Amino acid sequence: MFSFFHKKSSAKTAKDRLTIAIMSDRQNTSAFPFMEQMKAEIIEVVKKYIGVKAIEIKKELVGDVEALSIDVQLETRA
Amino acid sequence: MISGKGGVGKTTTTANIGLGVALNEKKCVVVDFDIGQRNLDMILGLENRVVFDVVQVMDEEVGLKQALIKSKMSPNLFFLAASQTKDKSVLDSKKILKLVTTLSEEFDFVILDAPAGIESGYEHTIEFADRAIVVVNPEVSSIRDADRAIGILDSKSQKVKDGGEVMKYLIINRIDPKMVQSGEMLSSEDILDILSIPLLGKIPEDRGIVDASNQGKPIILDSNSAAGRAYSRIAARICGEQVAIENVEMPENNFMQKIKEMFK
Repeated sequence: MFSFFHKKSSAKTAKDRLTIAIMSDRQNTSAFPFMEQMKAEIIEVVKKYIGVKAIEIKKELVGDVEALSIDVQLETRA
Repeated sequence: MISGKGGVGKTTTTANIGLGVALNEKKCVVVDFDIGQRNLDMILGLENRVVFDVVQVMDEEVGLKQALIKSKMSPNLFFLAASQTKDKSVLDSKKILKLVTTLSEEFDFVILDAPAGIESGYEHTIEFADRAIVVVNPEVSSIRDADRAIGILDSKSQKVKDGGEVMKYLIINRIDPKMVQSGEMLSSEDILDILSIPLLGKIPEDRGIVDASNQGKPIILDSNSAAGRAYSRIAARICGEQVAIENVEMPENNFMQKIKEMFK
């Protein structure tokens, strides 16, 4: 009934959620020191068959399963 | 000038800060590095004067002097347009280094307006940066994306690869004081806690920004506008003046104005 007076500040929620999200983002980028090497190797392999412009690798949490998502951006056709 | 997320006011900030430092008698060039999506020319009101672009300069198809456009608003402000026909894949590290080296010999400030996102166009823009200004909105996706952009800056810029550090400065744009006060919007302190980089300035939400873009006259020229004054203070700080950070969230203006009026 008086929920208006008890409404939790959404800024506080935003800060808490951001802090956790950013912590995990930062871990992702620093947890794999071999990331650059791995990227270079994957590019080499794909390049044998088709032109590659860029590659992005992310660790993702899909439900309870940890997964590596690999995005390969192909060279634009001339 | 970087942001990670698009639409947070990066190009508007580039235009205003560029003009701001120029109005402080510093020679400044702003370069639109959003290759393929030219925008800064509109904000600066220079879209009709663009003949050559920055890619043509880097490819040595035209001389730098031919491509530089002088602003009507300050004799100290120059502009280099992004290419509209090519895409970011034309960017080449050696050519960028040559360009920024030449520009930094002629200008006190060389400001590159990075494209949104953290792809190759962004990486090339920050490659030879010695400082970065990070523009965010008090909003979760903007702050998260900015942190990613900062992460890339801290690992991929040449200065970092050479063992140095690229200093980063934060501008919080589009602050709605009422929403911050009612706890519905992240405060500057919250954002600084999360990103932990020094604060360069705070810009309040200002309806005049759209009008300024419509006319191609950066809002810094309007000293009656809160955002314009905030940009002026940021420009002064960049030029080395000690200017206190504005208290955008708790504006005392109305209260002080009323008191002043009472004594009139």
